[in-house]
Amino acid sequence: MLTIALPKGSLLEDSIQLLKDVGLDFSAFLESGNRQLQILDPTNTAKGLLVRAQDVPVYVEYGQAQIGIVGYDVLREKSPNVAHLADLKFGGCRLSVAVKDTSPYRRSLDIPPHSRVASKSVRCAREHFNALDLPVEIVPLYGSVELGPITGMSEAIVDLVSTGRTLRENGLIEIDVLFESTARLVAHPLSYRIGSDGITQLVDRLRDRVSCFASIQN
Amino acid sequence: MAVHRPPAGARDLLPTDVAQKVWIERRVRHVFEGWGYHRIITATLERLDTLLAGGAVDGETVMQVADEEGDRLGLRPELTASIARAAVTRLELDSGPERLFYNANVFRRYVNSPHGQQHEFYQAGVELLGAGGLLADAEILLLLADSVRSLGLDRPWLLLGEANLTRSLLDPFPPDLRSRVRRALANLDRVALEALDLSPALRDRALFAFDLRGRPQDVLSKLGSLDLDGKAKSALDNLKSLIDLLEDCSDRDFAAQTIVDLSSIQTFDYYTGIVFKLVSATESGLEIIGRGGRYDNLLELYHPQKKSYPGIGFVLDIEALHQVLLPTGKLPPRQPPSHWLVVPKSDRAYTAAFAYANKLRQSTHIVRVELADNDPENGDRLRDTARHRGIVQIAWVDTDGTVKIERLRS
Repeated sequence: MLTIALPKGSLLEDSIQLLKDVGLDFSAFLESGNRQLQILDPTNTAKGLLVRAQDVPVYVEYGQAQIGIVGYDVLREKSPNVAHLADLKFGGCRLSVAVKDTSPYRRSLDIPPHSRVASKSVRCAREHFNALDLPVEIVPLYGSVELGPITGMSEAIVDLVSTGRTLRENGLIEIDVLFESTARLVAHPLSYRIGSDGITQLVDRLRDRVSCFASIQN
Repeated sequence: MAVHRPPAGARDLLPTDVAQKVWIERRVRHVFEGWGYHRIITATLERLDTLLAGGAVDGETVMQVADEEGDRLGLRPELTASIARAAVTRLELDSGPERLFYNANVFRRYVNSPHGQQHEFYQAGVELLGAGGLLADAEILLLLADSVRSLGLDRPWLLLGEANLTRSLLDPFPPDLRSRVRRALANLDRVALEALDLSPALRDRALFAFDLRGRPQDVLSKLGSLDLDGKAKSALDNLKSLIDLLEDCSDRDFAAQTIVDLSSIQTFDYYTGIVFKLVSATESGLEIIGRGGRYDNLLELYHPQKKSYPGIGFVLDIEALHQVLLPTGKLPPRQPPSHWLVVPKSDRAYTAAFAYANKLRQSTHIVRVELADNDPENGDRLRDTARHRGIVQIAWVDTDGTVKIERLRS
C-alpha cells in the first residue's frame, strides 16, 4: 500500500484538498480533535502520515513514505535524495533577507561584514552570503526569527515570507529574495522507478489535476 | 581508564554474524564457480589514481593513506578498478575472455555526514572481461538471477537501463544543456527538466525520456515509435534481443520482474551498454542488493598500450542481502554448535583426552570437538553449559584411555 507523508502546518489543507481531488481522503487530519498521526484513506488504498514539514523528505528518502508533499524551501535546505516530480503551485512564498526598516541596508551587500544573520534556513542563508562573498555569522533559530533584529541580536534575518504582513507588523522590510518556493510532490526514487502500488498512476493523476487547475487560473 | 571503542562507522562481526555472512557467500560462490568464474584477490590498498581512473569514484569518498614514499594510496571503495588493472597487465585477455569473481571488503568515506554511516562493507561480484555482445550481457544477467535464486530470494526487481540508448536520446540537446538534462534524469528531478530553457520539441523529448520506464514490451514499443539514429537503433535492437533471450532462458519470474528504466543512469560516463540494479522488496521497504553494467571503455585506461577490451560485471551487497534475508529465517540463527565435548576426568587424563578428540576429528565431514576440564564437584554444571551451547555428546575420558560416551537430552 502507498504511504503519503503530509506536512503539518500551512501546506496541509491544500495538500489534503489536492489528494481529495484525485480520490484519496485524508481530511480526518484536519478535524480539530485529531490526534492521529497515521490514517487510512476510506477506500483503503493509501495511508497518510502526518509529520513536520522538515521531516517529510526524511520519511520519503528512507522509503517509509513513497510519496510526500513538501515546500521547495525545505528541499533546498536539506537537499534530500528524493525524486522531484511536480510543482504543485500552491503554498507560494519566498525565502528573503529582511532588516529593520529603520536600518540603512537596502540590499544584502549593504550589510556590514561579520554581522549576525538569524535564520531557520541555515544552509540557504549561508549559501546566499557565501555567493556574495560576504562573511556573516549565521545564528540558527527555531521560531519567531523576526525577534533577531528587534532584540538587537542580529542585523538581518533570512526567513520565509508569504504576504509580508508579519514583517511589516514587526517593523522589518524585505531587501532581497533568495528564491521563490511552492509545494512540491516528491517520491522515494526506487519506489518511483519500480512503480509498484500504483505510484505512477497516482503521480500522473496529481500532475494532471495541478496542470488542469493552473490552466483554469490562467 | 581508557575505554576502547571501534571508530564511528566501523563494525565487528561476531561469530553468529560471520556464520550468516558465510552462509550467503558460500551459496553465491558456488554459483559463480559453476559458471566457470575463478576467484581473484586483489590488494586492499591501491594507488589513488588507479581507483579514480574510471571516473566513477569520487576521490573524497576514498579513505586515503600515504605510503612511505608519500604516494597517495586509498582503501578500495570497489573492486572493478583493481581487477581491471590486474587483468590487463597480468592476464592473457587476447587468448579469450576471463571470468573472475571476488568476495572482499571495501571502504567508503562519507563527506559531511554526521550520521555515522558504516564505512566498511562486504561485496561479492563477478567480472567478465574480454567478452562483448548479447551473449555476454545475457550470461551476466542470468548469472545474477542464478545467484540470488541460490539464496532463496523471492522475485527481486531488475531495473534495466541502456547507457548508450539514453546517451543517444540526449544527443539532440545543445551541449551546454545536455549534462543538466542528464543530471535531472539520473536524479529524477522532473521539476528541473520542466524549468530548463528548452524548445517545446526538446522539452517533450526530455519529459518523454523521464517518463520512459515500465514493462519491457511497453517501453520498447514506445522507443520504437521514436525517430532514432543508427547507434540508438542498434542499442535498442540489442536490448530487445536481450529481453527476449532472458524470457526464453530464465524462469518466468525473473523476466516478469524486469523494469526497463532509461533514466536509471549515472551522471558520469562509465557504463557503455546495459546498466542494472537488483532490488529486493522487504517489509521495511526496497533495498538494492546488487548492481552492475557494461563498461567497454574501462580496461584500456589501465592497459600499458591503451588496448581496449570489453567488460561487464555485477556486484552483490552482502550487508543488504543479510538485511533482506534475516527476517526470512533462512540464515543460520547462531554459530554451529560443536558436535562433541571431550572431558578428561582428571589432569592425568589430558593426553588421552587430546588423543580421543583427534580421533573424533578424523572424518571426511567437519567434526567440531572442544575440550573442557572436569569439575568433579559438579558434573551437572558441565552438562548444562554443554546443553546451552547446543552440544549433544560428551565423551568422558579416563586416565587409561577408556571413554564413556554420554548423550545429552535437550
